[in-house]
Amino acid sequence: MNNNGTLLSLENVSTHFFTADGIVKAVQNISLKIKKGRTFALVGESGCGKSVTALSVMRLVPHPQGKIAGGKIVFEEQNLLELNEKQMRSVRGNKIAMIFQEPMTSLNPVYTVGNQIAEAIKLHQGKTNQQAKEDAVEMLQKVGIADSQRRINDYPHQMSGGMRQRVMIAMAISCQPKLLIADEPTTALDVTTQAQILDLLDELQQQEKMSILLITHDLGIVAERADDVAVMYASRIAETADSKTLFANPLHPYTQGLLKSLPRLGFTGKRLPTVAGIVPDPLHFPSGCKFHPRCPIGCNDERCQTIEPEIRYVAPGHGVACWYAQGYEKITDKQNG
Amino acid sequence: MSEQSKKLPKGRSLWSDGIHRLAGHKLAMAGLVVIAAYFLLAAFIYISELCNWKISFLQWGDKIGREYEPPNAKNIIGTDFLGRSVLRKTIYGTKISITVAFLASILSIAIGVPLGAIAGYFRGAVDEIIVWLYTTLSSIPYILLILAFALVLKDKAINLHWAGLGTLELRGIASVYLAMGLTSWVGICRLIRGEVIKHKDREYVLAAKSYGCGDGRIITRHLIPNVFHIVIIDFSLRFVSFIQAEVILSFLGLGEKNSPSWGAMIDTARLDLPKGYWWEMTAATLAIFFISLALNVFGDALRDSLDPKLRIQ
Repeated sequence: MNNNGTLLSLENVSTHFFTADGIVKAVQNISLKIKKGRTFALVGESGCGKSVTALSVMRLVPHPQGKIAGGKIVFEEQNLLELNEKQMRSVRGNKIAMIFQEPMTSLNPVYTVGNQIAEAIKLHQGKTNQQAKEDAVEMLQKVGIADSQRRINDYPHQMSGGMRQRVMIAMAISCQPKLLIADEPTTALDVTTQAQILDLLDELQQQEKMSILLITHDLGIVAERADDVAVMYASRIAETADSKTLFANPLHPYTQGLLKSLPRLGFTGKRLPTVAGIVPDPLHFPSGCKFHPRCPIGCNDERCQTIEPEIRYVAPGHGVACWYAQGYEKITDKQNG
Repeated sequence: MSEQSKKLPKGRSLWSDGIHRLAGHKLAMAGLVVIAAYFLLAAFIYISELCNWKISFLQWGDKIGREYEPPNAKNIIGTDFLGRSVLRKTIYGTKISITVAFLASILSIAIGVPLGAIAGYFRGAVDEIIVWLYTTLSSIPYILLILAFALVLKDKAINLHWAGLGTLELRGIASVYLAMGLTSWVGICRLIRGEVIKHKDREYVLAAKSYGCGDGRIITRHLIPNVFHIVIIDFSLRFVSFIQAEVILSFLGLGEKNSPSWGAMIDTARLDLPKGYWWEMTAATLAIFFISLALNVFGDALRDSLDPKLRIQ
């Protein structure tokens, strides 16, 4: 993959939280690349560090307890971690925008939706109130809200969840960002609205030629919408590949377990298989490979219990962190995917 | 515009929603009328002084009868020890009470709200300094602190020439409201700090940051409007305590000297009461009673209708 196609790359990014009980390493040595115009999905269980990864990219990790401990976040050939706060503000909303899980609470209740969309436009494009308001109407139209001329004067509590998520999207794309981070954008919505919102994101991605970092725990959405995938487990990436490869040929036992636990059309068994065990406590991660206590292969293996495997690329673009993955041991030096 | 959209109800902000609910509360509206009457009276006294109108019921210094005349047909609430009308003194006293309570409230909000918002938003060292400051201040008995401030400020002057405003003489009334304002911001500061801590991790704040708002903008545009109902409620309830504090300070001889205030009236009437001259004390007390009651009733209703969590219907 040549460098020109990469919009955002994370290199060994770690984010830690300093709590009263100790240091929580929410994200450890994560590397990933998001290509221009493509959708990259970050999948994993609750608490595995997906959202913290997204907040790290925005540099909005809760302060002062959270801190990006190391690594590089390179966006358009610029390390975001080296920017000062003011420069970072001109990136947020302008070049990288974000939408959140809870559309019910992510709009400010005291302002009309038009007012909030216009604020983002005024902040970055120096437009007058009148121009910004006209833009806001246009944005609402773009995200499929009927009668937008009137609707911009509505307050958030007058709208349904799906409409509010559309408003959030309108705010996010109002300055034509290069990257849109969608942190579980449909988790709080019902299934039909989910599909509509995802279709809208697809459509806008075509129009605006932006990249999307989609954070989700829904493998169905990944299979349908994502070009590339990374599966996270306990603060690290377990496996990464383009989505076709990942679904056809999963190498990490965790990925395999996740895919097995999906209901399939025509499935007639009694119970769906599950990944045994529970997610480890981030304050007391197991030694070695963090997945080994739940792993069907490595639970009794001494190497898995003591040495943590790194990501190695067993095929172009297909990285995995498991001692038992096919072809893993043959690769000695870490290749760049 | 489509046929359907014409039927959509007009959007109402949380504010207008609260005011709408307040308007349906009869007792609160009665309270509001009383409060408005007091304010209008105070404003009217200022205007008449500025324009040099000679209105008989504001000429509180005139001798209109014998000393200690009990209430009668000519002087409804009687006269004081110099034969001046108690009614006129009571009416004129509104000016001092409302002025002091209003300016002290504004001052305490101007200090308490920004400090509370900054402490709650930034936390860390800034928060600790501000919390230390207000806990220290609040550990000193309130009246003692006001007394100390009033005594220090008394007969001093603040040079405001740099702002083109001349000199502010801190005699009498100015030292009273400055002392009250400078000591009473603790309550509102604490409330705002707590509320900002609650709000600052909400998703709408994170969303505002994610589209490029800076800290100053988040505080002034996003957080303060969301916690401002607390300021209004606190204002309406604190106003009463300022009126009462003014009475206490005047009673202790630290208030306004040259014109009547309710506190000064109670102070002089205190010595007359054992002799059976009850009307001056009664008039001043009733004046305080009605505005206190009105403010309390109104303040409670205001809290009920502006605080979203207390919405019952």
